[in-house]
Amino acid sequence: MKNLFYILAILGVAAGIYYLATHLSGSPTEPPPATLPIVTSTAEESGLIKRYCAGEKLVKLRAAQVVDGVEINKSRVCRPDLPAQVAAFVKGTNQVAHQTLMKTNLALDSVVKSDDLDGDGDPDVIHIKLEVAELNGSTPDSSQVTPSFYVAPGIRPGLWAFAPKTRGMATKTSMTTEANDTLRLPSPAIRIEEGDTIKITLENTHYFPHTIHFHGVDHPFVAEDGTGNDGVPFASEKAVLPGDSHTYTFKPRRSGTDFYHCHVQTDKHLMMGLQGLFIVEENHPDNWLQTLNVGDGQVRHPSVAVKQKYDAEYDLHYQSVDRELGEIIQASHDPRLIAEQMNRNYDMTDATEDYFLLNGHSFPMTLIDSLVIVEPDQKLKFHMLNGQPSPVAIHFHGHKATITDYDGVNVPATNRITRDVFNIAPAQRIDLELSTTNDGLNSYGSGIWLFHDHSEKAITTDGISPGGNINMMAYSDYVGNDGVPKTRGMDLNIFFDPAYYEGKVPVWGSMGIPELLGQAATVTPSIKQLLLLGLLIGLLCLLLAGLIANLRTRRKS
Amino acid sequence: MKIQRYRNYVLYGILQLSLIATVNAATDSAIQPKQKIDHTMHHNMQMDMDGMVMNANTDQLPRGCTEISEEVDITVKAGRKYALEMNGIMFTYNQRQWKVKPCSKVNVTFINDDHIRHQFMLHQLPPTIYPPYGMFNIEVTGPGQRTASFIVPNEDKTYLVHCDVAQHTENGMKAQLVVGKGNENGDLPSIPGVTPPIWADNYAVQWSSMSYTIAILSALASILLGVAIWFGLKTLASNTRGKTE
Repeated sequence: MKNLFYILAILGVAAGIYYLATHLSGSPTEPPPATLPIVTSTAEESGLIKRYCAGEKLVKLRAAQVVDGVEINKSRVCRPDLPAQVAAFVKGTNQVAHQTLMKTNLALDSVVKSDDLDGDGDPDVIHIKLEVAELNGSTPDSSQVTPSFYVAPGIRPGLWAFAPKTRGMATKTSMTTEANDTLRLPSPAIRIEEGDTIKITLENTHYFPHTIHFHGVDHPFVAEDGTGNDGVPFASEKAVLPGDSHTYTFKPRRSGTDFYHCHVQTDKHLMMGLQGLFIVEENHPDNWLQTLNVGDGQVRHPSVAVKQKYDAEYDLHYQSVDRELGEIIQASHDPRLIAEQMNRNYDMTDATEDYFLLNGHSFPMTLIDSLVIVEPDQKLKFHMLNGQPSPVAIHFHGHKATITDYDGVNVPATNRITRDVFNIAPAQRIDLELSTTNDGLNSYGSGIWLFHDHSEKAITTDGISPGGNINMMAYSDYVGNDGVPKTRGMDLNIFFDPAYYEGKVPVWGSMGIPELLGQAATVTPSIKQLLLLGLLIGLLCLLLAGLIANLRTRRKS
Repeated sequence: MKIQRYRNYVLYGILQLSLIATVNAATDSAIQPKQKIDHTMHHNMQMDMDGMVMNANTDQLPRGCTEISEEVDITVKAGRKYALEMNGIMFTYNQRQWKVKPCSKVNVTFINDDHIRHQFMLHQLPPTIYPPYGMFNIEVTGPGQRTASFIVPNEDKTYLVHCDVAQHTENGMKAQLVVGKGNENGDLPSIPGVTPPIWADNYAVQWSSMSYTIAILSALASILLGVAIWFGLKTLASNTRGKTE
């Protein structure tokens, strides 16, 4: 009987403690707390985007120029593609001037061009060598990741990419862990001419087996020399082991926008980044192509056919990353442990996509090298690839565009559809024609027009918005000489602050009424409440002691 | 002592990560080349389809050296197969430590046994002779070999040798060249077979019936010991009390 009393009292007091502890804040009689002063680093970080984009060297790199006889189009973006590198990819690393090659970090046998077989003034045997680079992986030397590549401010998921064969260091200089400019996402867009003899050597510099599968590209299942050519490790040939190499050979008979990716543990290896655009261009005389477009975006040396029909050409590669998948390569460096975690413990059916990338970056970093800068009355060509497991629905503000090709197959002009949202299923490609003629249909005039995936999670970076694959199409009168769009809304610098994507910055805190939309302060519990809580805890202890004493006396008697 | 050593490892880790930039400035002023170097030159690079050598040096003595103290020939083999004898790595050299005297001339024959790129990259040499970063590098782009030389300064120092293809250092292609007595702080960390990593991997722990038995017996023993001590103390206390009474 006495025990029952104790137990009931204990339960009652415990309930009281629970109630008090969970109701320490927000007494209805107290006024709401004040607003905290804004503690973001945006004030000191102001001008961050400018810092990315300023400098004499960058001005020179943006200009239209001729390098080694290769015409290089103007690129007004903040971080343009390196003209020397473009020239090396056009002429071939074996043929470009030594001085030009020295301005890049490419190996001499990176892209080897030879043999004008059809006598039309351009090389017809193209040999490309690709390596597999790990970005943001673990090191036995510290808890840091290396070589480092940011997809968004402060965000470095573990990634893999096909990369052109380079020489020297993986980092920018010996003073930094920052990956050099050729080691990045996406894997570079590959451009070749229809009818050319293509050899692509995968030099597997990575610690896992890999292959390349040429999705949609005309290639035989087995090459002429009898080696497998489809890149499927359980169907056409064995996977390329670490330290080994394999050459894929084919002669595509048809032009179109296609896709290449690793076909080993495809679910994981695709999402880790081993995927890129593969574009077969029409055969034309003197058609010297920019074989690789590192970082995708604007093509600074378009093909003959594109130059005839369009004012500018862009490669747009959409992909997504699961943070937890990337963390596997950051948690261990023993390949056996990583393989166990990735192949046997990680379950993609339970996974979520956290980062949505366009050309390897999420907003605002898409503005750095993928900003589309246009003039009125231009015709643009976009090669778009969806490399992520979820569909994308790309919406262009202020424009309606026309699909000219689905999966590398041309649509007859009479059957083409003009619209403003473009649905692309996983692995599908579309070629898009967009006109900037201000006629109320094609374009609604000059401005800074957003274009982004309209599946809402894809415009966030791990849930924080705006982020994801948002990019802008800016008319040139809205772009500064440094490539920074002259936006008219919120300061862009706030989005370049890593704290923003850590969720530490009140999104509307700098909109002029921080008192109303800023960060609410915390409240301290009142002395009365704390005293009462202490008393109750003491009482609980006494009751427990009483109960135990009672049980012991009863047992003794 | 152990903490000191661990701290050194951490310091080296940071140094290694930033690939040894800081010391360059210091060594730069201390060591002058015998003859003037054209800095516009492309890092003294010889390159062809099969590889390259950067900053080969057969005759320029670093300041502090009056003559070449000894000539050392080393053959370094690189590839996946050398990782077979070790656990937890993918690529490495057949040997991961070499010792030479200060002012030695080291002739490296670098053999690549894989079908991918590998490097013998050495850092922290005087940038005036090895411009611009104080780096000597042999790179072989596939199966094959290449020989080149460098001369080390008159200083006790441990040099990092590694392959800087993305993630190859992290996957085992890391070694050290100990000149004279080497660094005061000792060896560089995480060299396979030579020094332990700073950031070690976690492996799954397998408990056997034996390990359970040992743990339980150890627990029982400690309880028995406790009881014994308690009784011992009690007896001692009563004995003392008995004496005083």
